[in-house]
Amino acid sequence: MKAKYKIIGQNIPKIGLKKRLRGEPIFSADLELDSPLILRVLRSTRSHADIKRIDYEKALRLSGVVGVFTAEDIPGKNLTGIINKDQPLLATGKVRSVGEPVALVAAETQAAAESALKAIEVTYETLPAVFHTTEAMAPGATKIHEKGNLLFSRKIKKGDVDKAFRQCAAIVEKTYQTTYVEHSYLEPDAGAGYVDYDDTLVIFASTQNPHYDHKELVGLLGLEDKQVRIIQAATGGGFGSKLDMNVQGFVGLALYHLKRPVRMIYSREEAYQATAKRHPLEMKLKTGADSQGRLLAMSATITCDTGAYASYGIAVTSRAAVHATGPYEIKTVAVESRCVYTNNPFAGAMRGFGTPQIALAHESQMDLLAQELGLDPFEIRRINALKPGSKTGTGQELTASVGIGKCLDEIRPYFEQAKTEWQLEPIGPYKKRGVGIGCMWYGIGNTGVQNPSTARITMDRNGNVTLFTGCADIGQGSTTVLAQIVAEVLGLAPDSIRLVVADTQCTTNAGATSASRQTYISGNAVKGAAEQLADVLLTEAVNKLKAPKTSLHLDSGFVRVLDNPAKKIEFSWLARRIRQKGLPLTWNGFFDPDTVPLDPETGQGVPYATYAFACQLAMLTVDTLTGEVKVEKIVAAHDVGKAIHPENVKGQICGGVAMGMGFALMEEFVPGQTLSFKDYLIPTCADMPEVIPIIVESPEPSGPFGAKGVGEPALIPTAPAIINALADALGERIYQLPANLERVLEASIKAGHFGPKEVKNV
Amino acid sequence: MKLEMITINFTINGENQQLDIPAGMTALELIRDKLELKGTKEGCGIGECGACTIIVDGRAVNACLMFAAQLDGREISTVESLDQADELDPIQEAFAKQHAVQCGFCTPGLLMSTHALLTEKSNPDRSEIVKAISGNLCRCTGYHSIIAAIEDAAKPQPKEDK
Amino acid sequence: MFDVAYIRPNNLSEALDFLNAKGAESKILAGGTDIMVDLRSGTLNTRHLLDVSRLDDIKKIEVLDGKLSIGAAVTIAELLESETIAASAPALRRAADKFASKQIRNVATIGGNVAHCSPCGDTIPPLLIHQAQAVVANPQGQRNVTIEEMASGPYHCSLHPNELITHFILEPKPPEVDFADFQKIGRRQELAIARMSMAAMASKEDDDSISFLRFALGSCTPTPHRFYEIEDFLMGKIPTEDVLWQAGKILAEKMLDITGRRPSAIYKEPAIQGLFMRMMSPLIQ
Repeated sequence: MKAKYKIIGQNIPKIGLKKRLRGEPIFSADLELDSPLILRVLRSTRSHADIKRIDYEKALRLSGVVGVFTAEDIPGKNLTGIINKDQPLLATGKVRSVGEPVALVAAETQAAAESALKAIEVTYETLPAVFHTTEAMAPGATKIHEKGNLLFSRKIKKGDVDKAFRQCAAIVEKTYQTTYVEHSYLEPDAGAGYVDYDDTLVIFASTQNPHYDHKELVGLLGLEDKQVRIIQAATGGGFGSKLDMNVQGFVGLALYHLKRPVRMIYSREEAYQATAKRHPLEMKLKTGADSQGRLLAMSATITCDTGAYASYGIAVTSRAAVHATGPYEIKTVAVESRCVYTNNPFAGAMRGFGTPQIALAHESQMDLLAQELGLDPFEIRRINALKPGSKTGTGQELTASVGIGKCLDEIRPYFEQAKTEWQLEPIGPYKKRGVGIGCMWYGIGNTGVQNPSTARITMDRNGNVTLFTGCADIGQGSTTVLAQIVAEVLGLAPDSIRLVVADTQCTTNAGATSASRQTYISGNAVKGAAEQLADVLLTEAVNKLKAPKTSLHLDSGFVRVLDNPAKKIEFSWLARRIRQKGLPLTWNGFFDPDTVPLDPETGQGVPYATYAFACQLAMLTVDTLTGEVKVEKIVAAHDVGKAIHPENVKGQICGGVAMGMGFALMEEFVPGQTLSFKDYLIPTCADMPEVIPIIVESPEPSGPFGAKGVGEPALIPTAPAIINALADALGERIYQLPANLERVLEASIKAGHFGPKEVKNV
Repeated sequence: MKLEMITINFTINGENQQLDIPAGMTALELIRDKLELKGTKEGCGIGECGACTIIVDGRAVNACLMFAAQLDGREISTVESLDQADELDPIQEAFAKQHAVQCGFCTPGLLMSTHALLTEKSNPDRSEIVKAISGNLCRCTGYHSIIAAIEDAAKPQPKEDK
Repeated sequence: MFDVAYIRPNNLSEALDFLNAKGAESKILAGGTDIMVDLRSGTLNTRHLLDVSRLDDIKKIEVLDGKLSIGAAVTIAELLESETIAASAPALRRAADKFASKQIRNVATIGGNVAHCSPCGDTIPPLLIHQAQAVVANPQGQRNVTIEEMASGPYHCSLHPNELITHFILEPKPPEVDFADFQKIGRRQELAIARMSMAAMASKEDDDSISFLRFALGSCTPTPHRFYEIEDFLMGKIPTEDVLWQAGKILAEKMLDITGRRPSAIYKEPAIQGLFMRMMSPLIQ
């Protein structure tokens, strides 16, 4: 059977692979610069304080110190922020958390920079500080920002929940809690820069959104667009942390004043202290169903601690609210989700943006309801799973590409086998096996707001095609996928396409590499541009080949007649003809998902044009005497619409499972206490279960070749599945992550499993 | 501040070197800053991630935990020694084939750990592979493609008929 | 880059001479894995690094006069690879297998691990059950220091600045002992600090009663210990499920006697019994 596509669905070699295998100097810390100055930042030691004075005369006099800068040295507007601007590059007036940048030092050597930091004297006047959202919301609480400590509130109201609860046969009401999580990408944040011959500030950044960085730099430094150039250097992972600026602003400021090459590399300890964390969420959910298990009502109160600055707080808060129902149709819904400032270090985007946290809650609720009603946890999900025609909590009617049912069906045989065979195998008196399911849905793109992507394709007089995309590849393979899309549309080999990626001097804004949006949104933008070029080539070929357009196709650099391939004309010929006619050889693509902003009171609207869906099964063994958990197997069924590069998708799934497992069992960042990689544990290969990835394709009509996204979905169902499996194993549930040794043993003891085989406490 | 200097002699990637360096320089600093070999990465600086893995006298070690002085008289290999004239070596090929590279930051360290392992034991079982690379953290892949790559590289290569 | 000087003596006598002159401003460098971390965090400040890692005199593993001798500069990897260790100190071999990561095992030394005096040092419980003594060289000659005496508190080594551990003398595992183990609980499977660890060696009579038992606990007390109370309790008894649980309870009580009821006790009190059961269960008929 002939494959529908030539390149789509093929596992082509990853673009940029060889450079990484050979260890070429492509990361910001590796780039060759001419005697770069070293930059370091002095950070606040107070949680909340007015800055009375900053004395840096002594520091400036030290040998090797070239410059010391404070907020006063910022020529433009000293306010940044990816959604709302509330975060200064360097503290002005006051500091709002430990670690906030106060001064920037530029020196000839690392040692000189360190000495300078020690020599700067900051006089603080301590202000009262709050570290918990409850404290921050209390009347009379110290104001962290002028507008008050409640940054944002998202409400969703569909139908009458109170009435519906009265009709429920079973109601479950519980509180769930998650804590700070650190991205722990392997490459610590880094950047470098120099001033070009035309005075352009050229900045290399480890970033997920170069065009956003550009906008911030231009604003901070009061410059014209063309005076700043951001080039994404190879980026060693981001997972959301590298969406906020990390060192870019400092690099830019130093370049602006000193006009000398500079480099800034965070140590791991500094990366831990200075960068965004996953928002801790407190989630109170009340869910009710009828005797058949159909969900009638859900109400939720969600509180997100966004720390000293907003970063992506609003997005996380909104997403958690929208996704709180889970991938299920619930008749009535009432959600209030609040984003609160505290003097904790700021929280920002992390893979999933609130959905990993809320999925813990909605999937635990499903299992608890199933238990109440005497239903199978699989069945209750199948009954309520969204399908075409379903209406979501925000009143959006889903029409296509709703693959949750299919995902559940894929998992079913594994679930059955695990429950009826695996779980019943004898494993000794002090171990218990658990089987759990977790489902998820994830809206692709930014919640209910425009987040377009643009792209440009050119063809030169020799028929060579170049793709210009501002889309940052951070390891997930977006460059490869975009090249595949162009290759498919134009009938070219992917490696014959020239790629200019993430360089603000040459590319146009593709939006952030976040929200699992690049395949869907940039994919469409790129496809659009390629299709315009394809059309121009086909049109031009009609005269030459004397054949109708519909009988032509693009293949290997030629336009050919479909049923007479010998009749062909090469791209280069067509390119020259088009040029002679005075027509441009540049085409721009644009795509913005079709959304409707959410009503501020009811949350009704269309937050996303499409959703990814998934179901994961976790099989684990618990040592009931020590609290140790071994996850044996994860089966992960993910509806991605269309897998443009199946191995990339599987790679995302496997990596997501690892991160989800860490989130469930071992990752806990405590500001001030978690200092280095010794203190914060992410899974090693020894912790990995067997992972069976299953790609489900429920094509998205508005997606490029039917594709949606998988980057974040990969991670979301894992922790819920593990927590459900733990509850299955122990008969006692954990409501707070991580389910570490202490919590698991506590649950085991509470459930009466701890003690000699014969005698057990009840 | 005047740093104490020492002279060290060693072989790196097949080349003999004699250098005067500060005594307190780490092996990682020597490799990256003095020798300008940027393939070896700093991920954490305290031996907890393996991104700086190099081979010293046949053994995989964290360059961030060694003093350059300790390299005196030793034979060192970094990732730059693997590929010859633009051809990837069999382990690199296996990583490519099994899609074991995402962001690529952990890759050099993993390649070196793999090399040390396969030199020590040409056909390791899965538990030996896990033991060899559990000191190499990866946040992108979830490790399975990496293990598949190492198993692939460890397979006896078929003899070529000419 | 740290502001230190580096010296690599050619032999033991040169090393000792240097320590004699400059011991107070020196740190002995073997593997360097702890030193580098401590220098980076600022917990260690020293002028000189004395590299003893290549002194052959302190790198041997041998059985002499019925005693097992392990050079202080023997690496954890070498412990793991040694057939002598496998035969004479299998619990130590198990600890070596679970030690940090391969990269660290390849350079870290048993002497370094002991002298670091971390409450969580993996080699220490096995050394304790082998009644290990450190042979310490100093300007006066040498003296023996038991493992228990090595740490005067967490991360505080009782050795003098001009002293150097040359080797450890262990009582090898008696031939009749067929049970020896080391177990640890960490927050992940590999590359994890021990939340708790224990080592034990035992043998039984024909009637199944315990005729020989050594037991040591790590990571639970400020310095690791032998627990003679457990050994005394179990000697002569037939190890049943019940008997082992009782012993585990005693172990937990004795641990709490030393540490008091700190917050970590909520986990450690039951978990220590659990780990004890898991480790000792093979003794049950």
